[in-house]
Amino acid sequence: MDRIEPASLAGVDTSARDALRSDTDEIDLIPVRTFWQLARQRFMQHRLAVIALFVLAILLVMATVIPLATGIQYRLSDLRLINDGPSLTAPLGYDEVGTNIFIRLAKGTQSSLIIGGAAVLIIVGIGTFVGAISGYAGGWIDNVLMRMVDVVLSLPVLFIILMIVSFFGVGDIRVVIIAIGITGWTLAARLIRAEFLTLREADFVQAARALGAGHRRIILRHILPSAMAPLVVAAALGVADSVVTEAALSFLGYGISPPDASLGNMLNKVRIYFFSAPERILYPSVVLVLIVLCASFLGDGIRDALDPRQRIASK
Amino acid sequence: MTTDSEANTMDDASRAPGATDVGTSAATGSVDGNGARPSDGETLVRVQDLVKHFPIRGGLLGVSKLGAVRAVDGVSFDVRRGETLGLVGESGCGKTTLGKVILRLIPATSGEVYIKDRAMFKQSGNQMKAIREDMQVVFQDPYASLNPRMTVGEIVGEGPLVHGLSNRKKREALVRELLGRVGLNQSHIHRYPHEFSGGQRQRIGIARALALNPEFVVCDEPVSALDVSIQSQVLNLLDDLQKELGLTYLFIAHNLAVVEHISDRVGVMYLGKIVELADVDTLYRDPRHPYTVALLSAVPETDPRRRRKRLVLRGDVPSPVNPPSGCRFHTRCWLREQLGNPENCVTEEPPLRVLAPGQQAACHWAEKISPEAIQSAADRQPTVATAEPAPAA
Repeated sequence: MDRIEPASLAGVDTSARDALRSDTDEIDLIPVRTFWQLARQRFMQHRLAVIALFVLAILLVMATVIPLATGIQYRLSDLRLINDGPSLTAPLGYDEVGTNIFIRLAKGTQSSLIIGGAAVLIIVGIGTFVGAISGYAGGWIDNVLMRMVDVVLSLPVLFIILMIVSFFGVGDIRVVIIAIGITGWTLAARLIRAEFLTLREADFVQAARALGAGHRRIILRHILPSAMAPLVVAAALGVADSVVTEAALSFLGYGISPPDASLGNMLNKVRIYFFSAPERILYPSVVLVLIVLCASFLGDGIRDALDPRQRIASK
Repeated sequence: MTTDSEANTMDDASRAPGATDVGTSAATGSVDGNGARPSDGETLVRVQDLVKHFPIRGGLLGVSKLGAVRAVDGVSFDVRRGETLGLVGESGCGKTTLGKVILRLIPATSGEVYIKDRAMFKQSGNQMKAIREDMQVVFQDPYASLNPRMTVGEIVGEGPLVHGLSNRKKREALVRELLGRVGLNQSHIHRYPHEFSGGQRQRIGIARALALNPEFVVCDEPVSALDVSIQSQVLNLLDDLQKELGLTYLFIAHNLAVVEHISDRVGVMYLGKIVELADVDTLYRDPRHPYTVALLSAVPETDPRRRRKRLVLRGDVPSPVNPPSGCRFHTRCWLREQLGNPENCVTEEPPLRVLAPGQQAACHWAEKISPEAIQSAADRQPTVATAEPAPAA
């Protein structure tokens, strides 16, 4: 065929390949960077997320180092020091049985973080699995799985967790983690399913199918990486949710029970000092709020960082 | 009854090389001229009575069927080796769905597609994977068709990887060669799609399609989303690649000028059916279906001195859920009006029949179409202030 230009294309440079060479220059000005370099740059643009990461890192270090350094001090009581004021070795003073509040708080933070982290693994794991199958397969499989989600969602979660815990052992951290995990995955499943439903029809997924890629490859290589945004959001919400649920459980006496420390049982013990020593309520509460807020902000930051379409502001 | 006669006509048209094919090869011969394309008109892809209905579900659990969108409703045609078959039609006429069904990206309701005489819908997973090496696709939207999390090298190299080229070095060499072939800088192999312009991205898409060395490529509106200046570059690239590699294209588009430029034969779709299928020159010079006539009259005139009246169709495209009886076009047909509303337009579905060598149309009254008839139909229309500026070039 001749290079006859159709009417609407008349007067346009036709030497396609040569013309292109000249406009590739712009792209060459930007250095080649790996995905993770770009992700880090995008994350650093997110100021709240950076602060959240910083705060969370401090909490994490405290929750690791202090219990390691002080051993079992968090459960020792010294009757001579009951309700003693703050000092150099006990910045937050001593409680009603003579235990160092600061050390106990660090230990409590540790249990909360462990529970939050472990439970969120279960939540995201089950949620992604169910959501991915549901959204990718569609049809009756989707229908069955989503009705299952509806059923789990309609159960009174706290009641179920209390039942599981009282049945399998009150005060066992593993039972608490599993109980929170297997009741909390529904939101994650829904978010992931919605994303899979959309992405399944995306052109680049269709293109991969046209290439002959198998289901596993399409799910793991094409859809899942693009479904990172809801996954990270689900994880952030999951951490926040698990930490709060654990606190509620311990507050009710079904979670971590004394002498083990958790933010929840510390709150439970100090509730009688609501008027006489309100700052004692403040300590575990502030840590709890910090963990929840930081998880949420950090989630936002990671979500944006993993999105390659997000622009990196030039300096 | 109607479907039977339709099928017969189709089969006759595609099997008997006599009347139809002589015209075609003569026409293609005159257009391409350089012999890069085999002109014997051997069939590469055959589409037979293809039907795709999307069910509309409702009811308590979403299982009862309320109706169906008849996106593709009994389409048959052949694509010959080395040719470009254009497919035009309004939005929603089913052309993109047809492309996807042919590629088996969405399952067909009924009908069959043969590629190199293999019935595609009967193949198992592994056999299908082998067939996929023979047919590839280029999508419309260069922004949505590339995975934003993969580098150009990974995108273009995925096909070969899936089909067993696991050696990284060899794959990279292949990708570099392909990038050069589509006019991209080979050093961009490690970049991500979002760093490229629309035209460049479309080239990446083309390179991906070529990576498996296919014979048949479905181009689903490959230039519609691009600037006019970039459109011609990409069209010429497709054209060059066809010559170099002996590709066969099914070129889906709604831009008549683009289709005229690139196609050897053109099919016109209306509401899930092909209403006319002809050699490109014949179709544009002497359309034999009232819908094609109306479509062509909507093409902007390049010469501002030539003022002419456009034949404007009244009303909207009817719903594909509930298509009109008989001829689907009868609700908007100017010819039917001119002929005093003959009854068989409403009662009888017109089969696609051979009207001239290399030309088929699905109209009972195709012979009545003449320049005078078109002129008088246009004259009888209420004068619409047709803005007739020279199209932006």
